[in-house]
Amino acid sequence: MKAKPVFYFLGTLLILFIVIPVFRMIFSVTPQEAGSALMEKELMGSVLLTLRASLWATLIALVLGIPLSFILARHHFFGKKVIEGLIDIPVVIPHTAAGIALLMVWGRESVFTKITGISIPGTEAAVSIGMLFVSLPFLINSVKEGFKMIDVRYEKTAVSLGASPWKAFTSVSLPMAKKSIISGSIMMWARGISEFGAVVILAYHPMTAPVLIFERFQNFGLDYAAPATVVLILITLVIFVILRAVGDKQ
Amino acid sequence: MIHLDKVYKNYGDFQIQDLSLEVGTGEYFVILGPSGAGKTLLLEMMAGLEVPDSGHINGLEKRRIGLIYQDYMLFPHMNVFENIAYGLTIRKEDKQKINTQVQEVSQQLGIAGLLSRNIHTLSGGEKQRVAIARAMVMRPEVYLLDEPTAALDLSTKIQIQRMILELHKKDQPTVIHVTHDFEEALAMGDRIGLLFSGQLIQNDTPEKVFNHPVSKKAANFLGYKNVFSGRIKDHLLNINGIDITTPEKQAEKAYIAVRSNDIILSKARLESSARNAFSGRVIKGIKRTNHVEMIVDIGVWLYVDITYQSFREMPLDPGSRIWVTFKTSAVKVFLH
Repeated sequence: MKAKPVFYFLGTLLILFIVIPVFRMIFSVTPQEAGSALMEKELMGSVLLTLRASLWATLIALVLGIPLSFILARHHFFGKKVIEGLIDIPVVIPHTAAGIALLMVWGRESVFTKITGISIPGTEAAVSIGMLFVSLPFLINSVKEGFKMIDVRYEKTAVSLGASPWKAFTSVSLPMAKKSIISGSIMMWARGISEFGAVVILAYHPMTAPVLIFERFQNFGLDYAAPATVVLILITLVIFVILRAVGDKQ
Repeated sequence: MIHLDKVYKNYGDFQIQDLSLEVGTGEYFVILGPSGAGKTLLLEMMAGLEVPDSGHINGLEKRRIGLIYQDYMLFPHMNVFENIAYGLTIRKEDKQKINTQVQEVSQQLGIAGLLSRNIHTLSGGEKQRVAIARAMVMRPEVYLLDEPTAALDLSTKIQIQRMILELHKKDQPTVIHVTHDFEEALAMGDRIGLLFSGQLIQNDTPEKVFNHPVSKKAANFLGYKNVFSGRIKDHLLNINGIDITTPEKQAEKAYIAVRSNDIILSKARLESSARNAFSGRVIKGIKRTNHVEMIVDIGVWLYVDITYQSFREMPLDPGSRIWVTFKTSAVKVFLH
C-alpha cells in the first residue's frame, strides 16, 4: 500500500473537520444579517473590547515574558524543568477552573483588593488577566524556542567586540528572534481573543465577544447568536490572515 | 605575554585539565588537536566568555580581542557594512570615523565591493573575510581564531591562510589559532601546542612537533602512516618476522613511527649506512596532489611517499620487487 495517498486522505479528513463548521456557520447567515450585526453597537463594542484586552495581555506578556524565555533558553539551573512545567499549567487545567483560581487571587474578597482597595472583577483589567493567564504559554514557548535556535556564539561574538551582555541581547539576540516573537505574539493574542472559560468567571461584564455570543445563545437561541458569531469569526480571520502575511514577510 | 596557569574546566562531555601555557606578545601560536579536544572552549576562556573552574588566565585582561569562529557568526540581520561596523558602533564612534575605518579595512581584505550586500548572499570565503574585517576594525592586540578555514574549500582556504599571515606580519598581533588540520598548523604557527582530550601533550616549534611526536596518538594525528608496536630488544623491534633497528635499546612494549618521506625506494639494495633495508613487493601506488603514496609489502605494509618523477622512472607496477631503506634515526620510538 502506498503511504502518500493514504496520508493525503487522512489529512483531508482532518482539514474538513475544521473547515466545514466554520463555513457552514458563515453561510448560515445572509449578508444583510451580517451587515446589520456589523452596525450593532453592543456587538462591535464587545469585539473591540476583546481585541483590546487581549492586546494588553500580550503586551504585558512580552515585557515580562521575553526575559524569562531568554533565561529558559540559555541557562541551565536546578529546577528549570519545574518552571517549564509551571508555565504549561494554564494549557492543561480546564479554563473555568483557571477562572475560579484567578478569582481567589483577584476577586473582591482577595488580599489584593483588601490591600489596594482596587476591585478587579467586572473590569477590562479582569478580562486581560483571564486572557493573560490562559494564553501566556503560547508566547513563552514560542519565544523560548526562538532564542534556543540562535547559536550562543553570536552573542559571544558581540561581547568580544565590546558589547555588554545587555547590548548583545538587544542588538543581536532580540532582532534574530524577531520572527518567533512575532509569531508567538500572534498566537497569544489569538488565544486570548478566543478565551471564554476563565474570562466569563472573572468578568461576565464588560462582555467580551465570546461571552456575548454565549449569552445570546443561552437567552435567545441559535438564530439570534448566529450573526454575532459570523461577525466575530470573520473579523478574527481577516486580522490573522493579515498578521500572518506581515509576519512571514519579516 | 599571555599566561595560562593550571586552567581547569569541566564541561560535561570533556574537560580542560590543568592546562598551563605561555604565549609571547606578537607570537603566532597554533593549538592543534582533534575535534572534541576542548579547543573552542579554551579559546572562549581566553576571550573571557567562559570562566575556568580553577586556575588563572593572565595577560588578556582589558586587551582588545578579536574572536573569529569557523562558521563566521555574521549577524544575519545586518548587512556587510553593519557587521564590520558593529564594534565601532557599540563604542559610539562618530559616523565619519566608522565609515573611514570600515572602508580602510575592507579595502585591505578585498571586500570593499560587498559592503551593502546581505550576509546570506556571500560565499564562504567572503563571509570569513567579513568576519575577519569585523574583528580587525577594532585593532585587536590578540586574535583568537577558532578553525578559521575549516568550512572553506581548498583554494579559498589557502587564500584565507595567506591573508591571515599577511595580517600577522603587518600588524604583529598575538595570534592564537586553533585547528585540527596539521598542514595548516605547520604552515602558520611559530609554535604549536598539541591538545588531546583537554591536555596539552606537546608545545614546541612546528619542526620539533612534526619530527619528534611524543606518543603514538600524536604520531597518528600528525600524519605518520607507518606506526607499529612491539617489544624492543638490543635495538631491534620484531614485527611479522622482520627486525627494525630503532634508536631505543630495550623496551617491553613500545611504538615506533616512520614518516613516509623518510623512506627510500630502490631497485637494488643500497650500499649505505642506513641500518634498515628490506626487500618487498609493490602493492599499489596512490596518486596524491604533490606526490605518489606507494604501498610496499615487506612483511608489513609500509607507506612510502615518492615524487611523480620517481614514479614514472622506476618499475613500480603492482607485484614488482623493490628495496626500502631508512635510517635508524628516522624511527621514532614512544612508550605510549
